[in-house]
Amino acid sequence: MIERLDLLSALAAARTDEIVVMTMTSTLQWPLVSDHELDFDFLAFGMGHASDFGLGLAVARPERRTIVLKGDGGLLMSLGSLVTLAEHGPDNLVVVLLENRAYEMTGGQSLPTRVDFAGLARASGIDGGGVNGSGSVETWNSLDEAADDLPRVLGTPGPHFVVAPVTNSSPLPPVNHTDHAGRVTRLRGALGID
Amino acid sequence: MLNCAVDIVQGSGQMSDVNQPIGVSSAVTVETLMRLDFTDVVMIPDSESARLFDAVRSCDALNVISPTREGEGIAIAAGLWVGGRKPLVVIQNTGLMEAGDALRGCGIGPHIPLRLMVGWRGYPGAQAGRLPVDSAHPYTEPLLDAWNVPHWHLMTDDDLHTIGLMDDTASASSLPAAVLTGWSFR
Repeated sequence: MIERLDLLSALAAARTDEIVVMTMTSTLQWPLVSDHELDFDFLAFGMGHASDFGLGLAVARPERRTIVLKGDGGLLMSLGSLVTLAEHGPDNLVVVLLENRAYEMTGGQSLPTRVDFAGLARASGIDGGGVNGSGSVETWNSLDEAADDLPRVLGTPGPHFVVAPVTNSSPLPPVNHTDHAGRVTRLRGALGID
Repeated sequence: MLNCAVDIVQGSGQMSDVNQPIGVSSAVTVETLMRLDFTDVVMIPDSESARLFDAVRSCDALNVISPTREGEGIAIAAGLWVGGRKPLVVIQNTGLMEAGDALRGCGIGPHIPLRLMVGWRGYPGAQAGRLPVDSAHPYTEPLLDAWNVPHWHLMTDDDLHTIGLMDDTASASSLPAAVLTGWSFR
């Protein structure tokens, strides 16, 4: 298990001009390690749809990579998105599944215990899939593994789906989420879109 | 000049009471989408939109993404638009009902002007007075009204201008708008 804030710090240190789309607890902790105009923290995608939004964004912006930080509870709400990622996922999309086995935002209720998220991703066809057949599925079991693999997922064609088992011992900042339209406007502005 | 080769499928089915073929031409719909500068079609085909699905897939100028559920499609379209593209979401009314949370979260809430083409399952039966009426039929327009999603009827080729009205309205309001298709595409 990786301490989540350490993983987010490593990601933020490796990130250059990628768009980072995040939802749920990542929206609370990512701002502790990053302040970038291409950060898109958003709680209101609709349940489980952060990576779907990220897929659309990556298709629209092929000149740069899109990284999606999402949780395992959200993925369970939209498992079909794995199949869509395997079929339509572009080279420039990276999905990092922060696997904490709990619905953390709603009080830490446990997820089903037997599900294998990397297995689901492989069975969906992501490994060797995506629009150009360059997709991959990996698991980062330690911070060292993450650090070793980050250059690959940020520098080679994907889509890359990474499962990162995480824990968290840091206090979470309070949820403060309003102005969803303003977040959209800011991201489009940062991308140079009117 | 449109760079999309689509075979024109002549209507051979039912005629309306004004001798207008029922349903909309897939080919002319694709031409309309291209004239309006749509870039992507996010679509889950159903039996009524099957010909449109074939038509958009045969058009190199339109990128087609087929998700597994309609909520996915709404979110994908939202990402496309935020990234600067102009997608059309084509789903059935039953899928619209499934996608309500995504429509709220990725359209209405953040003011993303999603353009929707919604197949109106149950419409032909209701028009013909067949009982029982498909339960998807009566809820479709009230549901769109409840979400304040303006919508127009796209039932024949004479209604194709409604795609432009829908598009203009979405653009002006930066909110979702829809056309409803009641008959199978020709």
